[in-house]
Amino acid sequence: MAQIEKKHEWTIAIRLAHWGRAFSIFVLIATGFYIASPFTVFSGETTDKFLMGNMRFYHILFGVILTFVFIIRRYLTLFGRKSSDLRDLFAWTDIKNMIKQIKFYALISTKAPEDKYLYGPFQSLVYTGLMFMVLFMVVTGLILTGACYHNGLTEIVYAILKPIENLMGGLANVRFMHHIFTWLFILFIVVHVYMAFWYDIIFGKGTVSSIISGNIFKETH
Amino acid sequence: MGRKTNPEYMNTVGRQYNQLMEHCKANLDKVENELPPAREELSETLKDGGVSRRDFIKWSSIMTATLMLPPMFKPMVARAAESFSRLPVVWLHLAECTGCSEALLRTSYPNIDDILLDTISLEYHETLMAAAGHQAEQNLEKAMHDFDGKFICVIEGAIPTGLDGKYLTLGANGKTGLELAKEVTSKAAATICIGSCSSFGNVQAAKPNPTDAKGISDALGIPTVNIAGCPPHPANFVGTLLHFLMFGGLPPVDSLGRPLWAYGKRIHDFCERRPHYDAGEFVEEWGDEPAKNGWCLYKMGCKGPYTFANCSKVRFNDGISWPVMAGHGCMGCTEPGFWDTMAPLEKPISEKTILANERTVDKLGVAALGATAAGIAIHAVASAVKGHKPDKE
Repeated sequence: MAQIEKKHEWTIAIRLAHWGRAFSIFVLIATGFYIASPFTVFSGETTDKFLMGNMRFYHILFGVILTFVFIIRRYLTLFGRKSSDLRDLFAWTDIKNMIKQIKFYALISTKAPEDKYLYGPFQSLVYTGLMFMVLFMVVTGLILTGACYHNGLTEIVYAILKPIENLMGGLANVRFMHHIFTWLFILFIVVHVYMAFWYDIIFGKGTVSSIISGNIFKETH
Repeated sequence: MGRKTNPEYMNTVGRQYNQLMEHCKANLDKVENELPPAREELSETLKDGGVSRRDFIKWSSIMTATLMLPPMFKPMVARAAESFSRLPVVWLHLAECTGCSEALLRTSYPNIDDILLDTISLEYHETLMAAAGHQAEQNLEKAMHDFDGKFICVIEGAIPTGLDGKYLTLGANGKTGLELAKEVTSKAAATICIGSCSSFGNVQAAKPNPTDAKGISDALGIPTVNIAGCPPHPANFVGTLLHFLMFGGLPPVDSLGRPLWAYGKRIHDFCERRPHYDAGEFVEEWGDEPAKNGWCLYKMGCKGPYTFANCSKVRFNDGISWPVMAGHGCMGCTEPGFWDTMAPLEKPISEKTILANERTVDKLGVAALGATAAGIAIHAVASAVKGHKPDKE
């Protein structure tokens, strides 16, 4: 009779950060697409309508939430007592494991790579990429916000980020890149959710629920 | 706001403005003593142009506000305007269309900005001077000799830097634009770039840029004040010259060399159609009902949100209108590289084509999403069919 052993995989901080980011990104994609190609509200008086204004408000609000979640998450990576995943983010440097992982994903081999780190080797590479994607979105987002609001924190941040805007060739290019990166996020979400489900089915460890409860389960003999 | 009710803050600001006033007075005295006497009496010129004293006072108030100075500077602006014709100016034309000169000089009924520009002491202006050939060269050399370190060099047009600048040669001696600009700017008190060509290269520098054209400050590596725009507003140029006369230096500029008082905020921030943007009311096609109602031109490709300029405040043609008011979106002409970055002109930036074949980002994104979904479906089916399971440890 096989026994099931519970293993605490994700700390509460990591789980909260995950859902914080997930929710912000969903809101940001939806509102972002409205801002990029809005539909016209024909009915009613101009004074009663504020659709674009509200969309931009929520876009900026969740953008700022994402910014702070990103900062907290990166702090945890570097200095977290239980949640530090700095070592795990470099799981891809283990080339042998990486090859095993790719073979396993491609259904060539049934030998799963060793479960040495919090992330698989391929996973760690993608998550590092995601980290830079969020950083890029946050920076371009703050530039675009700073160009609108000439007061307070946004003004200070904009003054710091202005050279990046010039380097990118003006606000129009910043805006365009911001739009392109949205699609990278959408592709990431699709693949990420599929991989979580796939893992859950293939390994039967409860991968999907682990990001809610924090636990994965292991069969022991 | 909060700061305005704080007496200490207001005291500090008041003291700063008083210091600025002292500085301004001292500098105007210096201008009046050192520069050659005014060639024309401004009051006479204005009378000839059909401008009353009252109009002039109104104008000086407007200019003071445009320069973002408090009302106490109004007399100083008027005094600087009187000294306007003392300022020696050398005006170079490089790779450009002369549209900026045209915009500044031609109006059906001149306003004070235009009249002031007419009174400017132009020592050398390739389009307007009577001299030609070697005589013109002599004029330029004389101006540089007589007003060494005192004249303002105004440059219109980009510098082609390819082939050592040989894409552009001017004058009887066949000097390249690069040589000429280097020589003149090295002797000028200040260099003002008028128009987007001299500021950032404009259409000459648009891709693929065969002549390797550049803006003045890029090509020569000197600091310039960039009055960007295609063409720029006369008030922005006049204001910069007034600032030079009043304070003996060029105005504070942003990171791209544009005066902050004129280019500090975006078109979008002061657009009269902005409430329609926030309300979600957009023109969907030219001449539709929303267009008649004056709704926002964002979906018709207005680039106001990416463009720093004061067009929406100062307006063109004596304040009659400006592009967005006339019903067409802003094309972003005050921004560097706007021919490339702001395209397509009449579509939002998100509908810019990338790679080839009229592909937009969204079309590519949907295609990539479809490919990903197909890949996932194949992988999922293959995993199920194969019964993919990891080996037991």
